[in-house]
Amino acid sequence: MAKETPLLPVEDAREMALFFVVGALCFLAALATLSAKSTYGAARSWTAEVEGELTVSLPEADRRGAEAARKLIEATEGVKEARLLSKAEIDALLEPNFGSRGLPDSLPLPQLIAVTAEPEAEFMGLTLERRLTEAGFANAVDEHAAWAGDVRRMLAIARLVALTAVALLASTAVAVIAFATHAALLMRRDIVDVLHLAGARDRYIAGLFERRFWLLGLRAGAVGALLALGAAAAMIFAVRSSGARSGLLPELSLDFQDMAILVLTPLIAGLAARIAARFTVIRSLKSVM
Amino acid sequence: MTLSRHDLFDDVAVRLDGVSLRYDTSEDILSGIDLVLKPGSFSFLTGASGAGKTSLLKLLYLALKPTRGEVSLFGRPTSRLTRDQLSALRRRVGVVFQEFRLLDHLTAYENVALPLRVLGRKEASYRDDVEELLAWVGLGERMHSRPPTLSGGEQQRVAIARAVVTQPDILIADEPTGNVDPEMGSRLMRLFLELNKRRATTVIIATHDLGLVRQVEAPVFRLQHGLLVQDVEYGPAARRRTDIAKVAE
Repeated sequence: MAKETPLLPVEDAREMALFFVVGALCFLAALATLSAKSTYGAARSWTAEVEGELTVSLPEADRRGAEAARKLIEATEGVKEARLLSKAEIDALLEPNFGSRGLPDSLPLPQLIAVTAEPEAEFMGLTLERRLTEAGFANAVDEHAAWAGDVRRMLAIARLVALTAVALLASTAVAVIAFATHAALLMRRDIVDVLHLAGARDRYIAGLFERRFWLLGLRAGAVGALLALGAAAAMIFAVRSSGARSGLLPELSLDFQDMAILVLTPLIAGLAARIAARFTVIRSLKSVM
Repeated sequence: MTLSRHDLFDDVAVRLDGVSLRYDTSEDILSGIDLVLKPGSFSFLTGASGAGKTSLLKLLYLALKPTRGEVSLFGRPTSRLTRDQLSALRRRVGVVFQEFRLLDHLTAYENVALPLRVLGRKEASYRDDVEELLAWVGLGERMHSRPPTLSGGEQQRVAIARAVVTQPDILIADEPTGNVDPEMGSRLMRLFLELNKRRATTVIIATHDLGLVRQVEAPVFRLQHGLLVQDVEYGPAARRRTDIAKVAE
């Protein structure tokens, strides 16, 4: 038995153009989602890393005094580890400002103690400052959490921007599909009229367009997702092969969640296309008897 | 007791009460039309070109809403029906459009089967009926051709087969024999009469062709200046009366 001809004829040129537009939008949306997720993940791990860290500076202490202060710090509740930085480590920290030749021994430098607090410890900066002052150590405590707070705020804005971009791309895709459905409906008014007068219900006619655009969204979304996968893989390869971890790029990887985003992209595109087509057709049909 | 088809009709197939129709800001095309068609009736609709025959038919097959008045099918005022209920009514009406309205990307067979497909029937359940109907209208050999490759007369026959394939309760035909030769015209007319007699289908045919009108003893409605009048001057009996009068002279 011959296969039934679809009631809506295939329109190659028009659908190819729409396929390209939806595919491109899906590519951009998937890439924006992956980037947003990656940035968020990298920032979260960075802030988690620095949030428990403090640096205690002792401007007037010698090496022995600093060691005593370190022991005092280490004995404080909530401190996981306290480590006195060596001269070489302090030179390395100052290298970006003073060059690689190091500082003259005669230049007085504060003794620095790197402190790692327990994750659940609170107000460690204030606690250490008070204890050291009580013990007679002139000190300054630099709590990295303050920096992390700034980074978190910045990342919240970056995430909002990324989500807005994804939402804009998705709504653009829906609007394009709605427009294309409307155009297809006008173009195929003859078919719609004949079906309508043959007693086809609105949902039957809408179903024809829904199926057409569901498949188009699904295919275009799959192509967009594959291209996004390729682009992400190329970026990861480029970053890794450069041998250095760029401070500007977030730590890139493709994990299960990224794959889920890529798998969901065509499904969401297909579903959005289907819903857009349904609403457009039903609304248009309501204008006729 | 088993209900017959007509028990369900509320004893009127088509009823127009004070129906007027106007497009945009123009004058009324149809004005205050009252019409009652009984189930199983056979009628003609005539009138000069532009008299509003097609507009009146569009109201009957629920493609247009009247500007004023009410159109009722099978006793149901259509202005009060939901869209789904209107679709259900349309399924009981077969229409032969003046311009055929065949779908060019479907074959003649698929065009004829279209209303059955809309009803959700499986192809295997109607294949034989559709093929038989196509053979009956003389298109057995051309059932797999697409409309653009068919002549005007062939397209018209496909359109007629599509209108009758569901054996509708009402058949509305707009100039159904306009593009076929007299022999095929008579044959198609027999098909309409057969549907009317065997299935009690209510048939209304809009035509210019008085020769066609004279073949059947049936009421003739004439549209004139937007008004509908019943014309009794046609039909075999009228023709016989005219012939007798001529002989007497």
